[in-house]
Amino acid sequence: MLTSFRRLFGIYKGYRLRLIFSQVLLIISALATLGVATLNQRLINEGLLAEDPVVILQTGIWMMILAVIGGAALAGTAAFAVFFAQGTAYLIRVELYNKIQTFSFANFDHFRTGNLMVRLNADVNNVANAVQYAVILLLYAPFMVLVALILSIINTPSLIWILLIVIVVVLGIMAILVPQIFKAYDQRQKRFDDLNNTLQENLAGMRVVKAFVRSHLENDRFERRADAMRQPAFAAAFRVALLSPLLTAIAQISIAFSVLVGGLQVLNVTGVNLGELVTFMQYLSLVVTPLALMAVVVPFLLRGDTSAGRIFEVWDAVPEIQDRPEAKMLNPADFQGRVVFDNVTFSFRRPDGKLDPPAIKNINLTVEPGERIGILGATGAGKTALVNLLPRFYDVTEGRITIDGIDVRDIPQENLRQIVGIALQEAVLFQGDIRFNLKFGNPEAEDALMFDAAQAADAFGFISNLPEKWTAPVTRRGYNFSGGQRQRLSISRTLTTQPRVLVLDDSTSALDVATESRVQGAIPKFTNNVTTIYIAQRISAVIDLDKIVLMENGKIIATGNHEELMESSPLYQQIYESQLGSGITAGLEVAL
Amino acid sequence: MTATTKTRALTLKERMETRKRVPATEKKDDTGLILRRLVNYMAGGESRTRFIVAMIVRIIAVAALVAIPTFTGLAIDVISSPDGTSQELVRWSLLAIGAGVIFLVLSFIAERTFSRLATDGLYKLQRHLFEHMQTLSLSFFDRQPLGQLTSRVTNDTEAVALFYESAVAQIIRAIFQILLVIIMMFIISTQLALVALLIVPVMLLLTGAIQRVATPAFAKLQEDLGDLSAFQEETLSGNKVITSNLRHDWAEDKNDDQAGDVFDVASHAFFASLLNFPLTQTLTMLQIAVVLMIGSLMVLDGQLEFGIVIAFISYTALLASPLSEIANLTATSLNAVAGGRRVFNIIDEEATVFDAPDATDYQFKGGHVEFKDVDFSYVPGRKILKHNTFEAKPGQKIGICGPTGAGKSTIINILTRYYDIDSGTILIDGQDISKLTQVSLRQQVGVVLQEAFLFTDTVMNNLMYAREGATEEECIEAAKQANAHEFIMNLPQGYDTLMTERGANLSQGQRQMITIARAMVANPKMLILDEATSNVDTRTEKLIQEGLERLMSGRTSFVIAHRLSTIRDSHNIMVVNGGEIEEFGPHDELMARKGFYYNLYMSQFKGKGPAGEAGIEMDFVAT
Repeated sequence: MLTSFRRLFGIYKGYRLRLIFSQVLLIISALATLGVATLNQRLINEGLLAEDPVVILQTGIWMMILAVIGGAALAGTAAFAVFFAQGTAYLIRVELYNKIQTFSFANFDHFRTGNLMVRLNADVNNVANAVQYAVILLLYAPFMVLVALILSIINTPSLIWILLIVIVVVLGIMAILVPQIFKAYDQRQKRFDDLNNTLQENLAGMRVVKAFVRSHLENDRFERRADAMRQPAFAAAFRVALLSPLLTAIAQISIAFSVLVGGLQVLNVTGVNLGELVTFMQYLSLVVTPLALMAVVVPFLLRGDTSAGRIFEVWDAVPEIQDRPEAKMLNPADFQGRVVFDNVTFSFRRPDGKLDPPAIKNINLTVEPGERIGILGATGAGKTALVNLLPRFYDVTEGRITIDGIDVRDIPQENLRQIVGIALQEAVLFQGDIRFNLKFGNPEAEDALMFDAAQAADAFGFISNLPEKWTAPVTRRGYNFSGGQRQRLSISRTLTTQPRVLVLDDSTSALDVATESRVQGAIPKFTNNVTTIYIAQRISAVIDLDKIVLMENGKIIATGNHEELMESSPLYQQIYESQLGSGITAGLEVAL
Repeated sequence: MTATTKTRALTLKERMETRKRVPATEKKDDTGLILRRLVNYMAGGESRTRFIVAMIVRIIAVAALVAIPTFTGLAIDVISSPDGTSQELVRWSLLAIGAGVIFLVLSFIAERTFSRLATDGLYKLQRHLFEHMQTLSLSFFDRQPLGQLTSRVTNDTEAVALFYESAVAQIIRAIFQILLVIIMMFIISTQLALVALLIVPVMLLLTGAIQRVATPAFAKLQEDLGDLSAFQEETLSGNKVITSNLRHDWAEDKNDDQAGDVFDVASHAFFASLLNFPLTQTLTMLQIAVVLMIGSLMVLDGQLEFGIVIAFISYTALLASPLSEIANLTATSLNAVAGGRRVFNIIDEEATVFDAPDATDYQFKGGHVEFKDVDFSYVPGRKILKHNTFEAKPGQKIGICGPTGAGKSTIINILTRYYDIDSGTILIDGQDISKLTQVSLRQQVGVVLQEAFLFTDTVMNNLMYAREGATEEECIEAAKQANAHEFIMNLPQGYDTLMTERGANLSQGQRQMITIARAMVANPKMLILDEATSNVDTRTEKLIQEGLERLMSGRTSFVIAHRLSTIRDSHNIMVVNGGEIEEFGPHDELMARKGFYYNLYMSQFKGKGPAGEAGIEMDFVAT
């Protein structure tokens, strides 16, 4: 039980002493609290009944001193509990995140961002809660109950059965109520998530809702979801609300009951005396709260354990791509940029380790230094999968890829990614400013280089028009810029790293043809002799390149320049006709 | 007619501005008002009687609870006095136990009702908010990022839920319990009451102080955690960029920094809130010690019975718990007020587009659309459309093209009246659209949007969504027309296949075909298409084009084109640039003119086309 949680305790190696100290303080607090209750007996028997005001005063002052000691010790434990809980959360947040940074693309395919975020957020919180409650309560409640039991065995053995009944009743009620509360609450949260999804979808599809004038249907849908949440919400809220009156009633009724039982003993002088009875009453009220809290701790611990298990699942994942031991650093500037795909086949690996059917099949392709080639094909043709192999985002399943004759797997990843620059399909920017984003891949770059890169990517103009220009803020993911602007910024960012091999993965799709054409024309002027691979779905993007590679279903269907393909490839002709128009001559007769 | 539109557009803008100004200038404290509005959902209207009854039951329960220590005290008196009898002891003890049972039973009833009222109140608030949002104009939703609005609504209603479930009834109970205990104390012994109550201001002061540290610390913690997880989410989803740029060190350092901030704030917040328990316990024990000490001395002095001292000890405990709760409950309430304020901001928001008082239903007479000198802007002062005048005859197809940001898509927003125009007139079949009901207009103007939005529901339900009362047969027929029937039948459960979020288990082309079928089910008299076929293979594109052709046949249609081949056969092509209509006419005519359209058309070929270098040096108003 709690295996993951125990494994987690490994991180406290340097903090053993603090952990022990926190528990010592806890025990001191419990003893002091019980001490105050026990002194009641002395005050009543030796002070009040013996009519000795000095004993009354002395005992009263001792009680106060002990109360303060108990409180201070408990506050000390609380400080430690918070330290351990938040320290654990901090360590997991940092270590787990750093671990994720070593992941390859394939690891990310298995652990989606959403899954990772749940582990970094909710799971970390669950673990922190469990640690906090474990430190402050795991020992406190049983110790308190145990000592109270021992003391009443010594002093009031004739009343001990009442204490035992109270313990059983409190634990029993909590054992029934607490799991019900957790269950109802989980269900409430699930229904609440459903409700939120409905809301989110409604807002995202607001145009559709309005277009079809169906808001009353949306209202019905929402009402059903909101209604479904009511029952579990009530079940949870009612039981939580019941806890406080229940515990109060148990304490008060058991006190009254012990007055009855103990009182009869006092009157008949068959057992306890008055002072002992009052002390016993104090024990009763002191024991109820820790007992109840103990029942709350258990589900928190179980939850923490499950969460710790999920955290370790990510922690134990092995990065799919690692540097070969014999890989050695090379000077990127020495590379000519001759890229050869040598009979390359690639399959995605499923989480269970099995391979999917190949996404790329037996690709043979040579790109000469400084050549500009285009890879054209529909979604799912394997274009992106192919170029992702070049900087080793994934490794080939069969065959090999070389740059200037060196297998990319023999180049350290760090080195390889200096050589190969890729502007990704999704133009993601990070929160910061323009300069930070453009120099993201090359923080030491001179401003002049950044300006040139922005010029080549046709971004210089709109950046200069921003009020803050190069320090203009970029929001998360760059959403304060339009799709076309983001793409141009993303290209500038890649150019600033001055790669020897440049890959533009459909990264001009949001630009109009004229702008795209300007960017394509400017890149060779920016870096002399850079080998460039353009990926596109739009024929206009590749029409004037040195070589066009047409892909379909993971295979190369045809290779050649525009004129050659118009001659030889029926698929190319089809795409041309579909995108640029079959009846072209009809318009042109008039036009020309 | 033009004049009326103009004046109304102006008053609308004024209204918008005055509304924006209100919260900024009006700094007056509205806490009480918001609290009252919030409580009204839970305790107002038909719930009022139940709320009051539950309150009375709760008060009787508290009274029973407060009676217990008095009975216990009297029982102790019996024991400590030399002539006490068993009968008296039994009587007082049983009374105490009985009061305890009454307290428990009544509390059970009251809490049950309160919990029911709390969940009902939340339900009412949620529905009111949602239903109101459905009536708001698109400008409201376009004004803020979707994620922000959703998470705000979620968090704010949850803050209110917590208030309903654990604060409303508890505050009243706590205050009542405190009052009753104090009254009882004074009734039993004024002197001892004064001693015992010494602790009250100390307790209130200290728990209040803790709350004043904890509340902002937790608020800061939420903010820091939000920043941290936003950063983590951003960098994990953008991890490919980090990997390809080798910037893991940057990501790790930044994460470490932010996690460190969270550690600092969380340590403060949790320590402050954890202090509540030892503090309350210590103060209670101190109070018990003082009461016992001074009480015993008074007993020795003959001023008091010992039972009273014991009763006071119990009262001390009954006083301490509500006192320590008060600060916490106040924080919960203030939190709910903050959330409620934002919720009410949405509820008080008014639609910017609304039906004119004398609005009539649109009468279809063929679908003749006229724009007369239409000006439009999203933000005052930044015109998107300037002096647009054109005409579409019944059944005509009008292609709209131009560079990105030229204002092409705006026509959807104004022809369906998602937004009102600044000036000018739009007539459909001779009827001014500003004088038509929005519902009748939108039922006749179909829109197929660029982003194929589908709901998380079955294929059939997505199709039926288009028109109330649509039959399954009609939907299947529409799917056939849209070329969607075949692939739908190949789905695991055919028309009953559940679409995952945003229709992600279908290809983009397939989603597009379903949206076309959906538009067919709606059977509108006019159409606006926002073309988006760039990401599908040629075969699928052909199927989509066929479907669109069938959808448009016989209907007045506007096609917003990102690729010129789709609109070449239009009756008229409208070339928009910088918000103005640059050219208007059929393809052949525009090509012959060798103007803007000709260059736009030729630029696609990059010199590889039939007209050589034409269009290559084309320069748009690019944004």
